[in-house]
Amino acid sequence: MGFDPAFALSCVPTILSAIGTTLLVAAVSCFGAATIGFLFEMARRIGGIAGMASGFAIDFIRSTPVLIWLYFLYFVLPFYGIRLGSMTVGIMGLSLYYSGYLAEVFKAGIDAIPKGQPEAARALSLSRRDTVIYVIAPQMMRNIAAPLGNYFVSILKATPYLAVLAVPDMLGRAFDIASETYRYAEPLVVAGLIFLALALLISYGVKRLERRLLAGGTR
Amino acid sequence: MSLFDIWLGILKGVGTTAAVTAYGLLFAVPFALGFGVAQYLTVGVARLLVTAVIEFWRSSAVIILLFVFYYALPVFGISLSAWTVSAMVLGLNAGGYASQAVRAGLQALPSGQKEAGAALGLSRPAILFLIELPQALVAMSPTFVNTVIQLVKATALVSLVTLSDMTFRAKEIAQVEYNPVAIYTALLLAFFVVCYPIALAGRWLEARIAAPGSRAGGI
Amino acid sequence: MLAQSDPIVGIQGLNKWFGALHVLNDIDLTVASGARVVVCGPSGSGKSTLIRCINGLESYQEGVLRLAGTTLGHKARETAAACRQTGMVFQSFNLFPHLTVLGNCTLALRRVAGKTRSEAEDIAMAHLEKVRIPEKARSYPGQLSGGQQQRVAIARALCLNPRIMLFDEPTSALDPEMIKEVLDVMVALARDGMTMVCVTHEMGFAREVADEVVFMDGGSILDRAPARDFFSASGHPRSRLFLETILRH
Ligand SMILES: Nc1ncnc2c1ncn2[C@@H]1O[C@H](COP(=O)(O)OP(=O)(O)OP(=O)(O)O)[C@@H](O)[C@H]1O
Ligand SMILES: [Mg+2]
Repeated sequence: MGFDPAFALSCVPTILSAIGTTLLVAAVSCFGAATIGFLFEMARRIGGIAGMASGFAIDFIRSTPVLIWLYFLYFVLPFYGIRLGSMTVGIMGLSLYYSGYLAEVFKAGIDAIPKGQPEAARALSLSRRDTVIYVIAPQMMRNIAAPLGNYFVSILKATPYLAVLAVPDMLGRAFDIASETYRYAEPLVVAGLIFLALALLISYGVKRLERRLLAGGTR
Repeated sequence: MSLFDIWLGILKGVGTTAAVTAYGLLFAVPFALGFGVAQYLTVGVARLLVTAVIEFWRSSAVIILLFVFYYALPVFGISLSAWTVSAMVLGLNAGGYASQAVRAGLQALPSGQKEAGAALGLSRPAILFLIELPQALVAMSPTFVNTVIQLVKATALVSLVTLSDMTFRAKEIAQVEYNPVAIYTALLLAFFVVCYPIALAGRWLEARIAAPGSRAGGI
Repeated sequence: MLAQSDPIVGIQGLNKWFGALHVLNDIDLTVASGARVVVCGPSGSGKSTLIRCINGLESYQEGVLRLAGTTLGHKARETAAACRQTGMVFQSFNLFPHLTVLGNCTLALRRVAGKTRSEAEDIAMAHLEKVRIPEKARSYPGQLSGGQQQRVAIARALCLNPRIMLFDEPTSALDPEMIKEVLDVMVALARDGMTMVCVTHEMGFAREVADEVVFMDGGSILDRAPARDFFSASGHPRSRLFLETILRH
């Protein structure tokens, strides 16, 4: 029994039909991770106990595997009577795990803004709020755009972990085919290639975006 | 089962986790150095090929790679042990990331270094090994440390291909003892106590390298 | 109300520490309305810190600093209102890179002075004409030369109609050929009667426009003299030495 290209081809539509799930999970998780990561970073900047706790949480998350976070939420939440769909749990897990990384992205994006910028804003008598909205935030956004895009790709590549929680994503579909036909190689290879293609495509887009941001000079 | 028993049970898997990490490094380090340098030195078609290999390992979803190589290789008549498949897939994936640090480290060197070596009459390999790599390796050592952490964390996946690492042990315990909070907290902590010291060492290294007056040879 | 003859800046016994470092030591300085004061001195002598105190960017520990009739650092709202009377130009321009030249100039007009967009743009354009760079209004700072950026920074600071302009080494980050275009703008500003405190080592500029030159070292004012005396032989030995060093370059 060798590798059957015709069979592999026949797997494509079934697996590809879950691409929406994959992209949705990745997008929502990325948004969640960015939100939590931003809050982590803000708390870290405030300092004091909240800052230390937040810094430790970031380090803790970054020192532990994403798979274990998924298991943790999947098994621990029901223990406390919280019953959520496995996709929701998966999104929560990915959001939490990647928030540790995105906090660092926000940190770098803010640290890269020269000290003279908030100073100039103060010299112009802008309020703190206006300084954040009109001076800091836009520059931070430009600094984080490319790293955020790269983490979106990372999160996308982590979505197949959710198959472990029985979420019917592309890898889940591949395993469905495998268990029906007892042929693992073809569906798995197809799923792998689709993910690879997606990752390369989006990475390419991010690189172009990055180049455009850089080409704009200090724009 | 007491908390202590849970801990003890999980720690039974630490040998496997360590072994897969070490075995994986045997793939990661040579791949990172070999392909990173190759990508730096080659041009044209050769470079395209090198880049394709790197991108395959780096941009694929690692969990799918693991399943593909575990389930699909036998179809092509190649049977490797779960150990070898795990170490190879996780190692080359991590090595793919690290190869980019190698290449970037080499590219970041001022071109005067290469020219000074050539002016001294050194051959190209001599310039690479005596002048460029020693400097680049220092600059990229923090990235290497991060790669080790990524690799340790990625080993959680081997529980999915029947190797009895810490994650596998935890799931085993979870089948006989309904105490997910204790079990998965212990598992998270187990990874934390391994990875966090490595992360701190990496930070120390980074600070050393960034410190003014630090010499490449000083580390 | 502030009478015309009251000084805009009145500093008495000002002391400031950064931790254990005594950066400003018993500073006394008065800047009358319309006066042009040049501050010079070696690196680390506290020049930047002094003018950053004047517009509230730095706080101080001892002494009195009155700006436009208000003692800075007592009541937050009054301090903020007084600081609004100052305009500041930095060594490194500090333009906002994500905004156009016009956007840089109108931001404070719209957010602080509460002008509408078109009012703000009219005011900004008038100041951009003054610094002779109206054609770059739609450009981004990254597309301008250093000299052009610094002129925009001056226009930006002028937009809020300050009563005093503070300059912190405005030309020392510029290539020699661009220094003149910035100094010309500053000279014109002085001719218009703007009150100015200017940290600079451009002694030609000092000679041309300054009423008074202040020499600082080690956080203290060692020497202060009308410009023409400062450059004659009568000055403090330490400032003579300093003058000789910088004039040699
Ligand atoms: N935020 C700060 N924290 C601690 N020390 C500071 C700070 N800012 C300045 N200093 C120190 O205060 C002293 C005076 O600094 P200041 O910048 O006022 O000097 P300066 O006369 O403007 O020098 P330069 O000509 O180099 O600009 C220096 O020793 C400087 O290192
Ligand atoms: Mg200074």
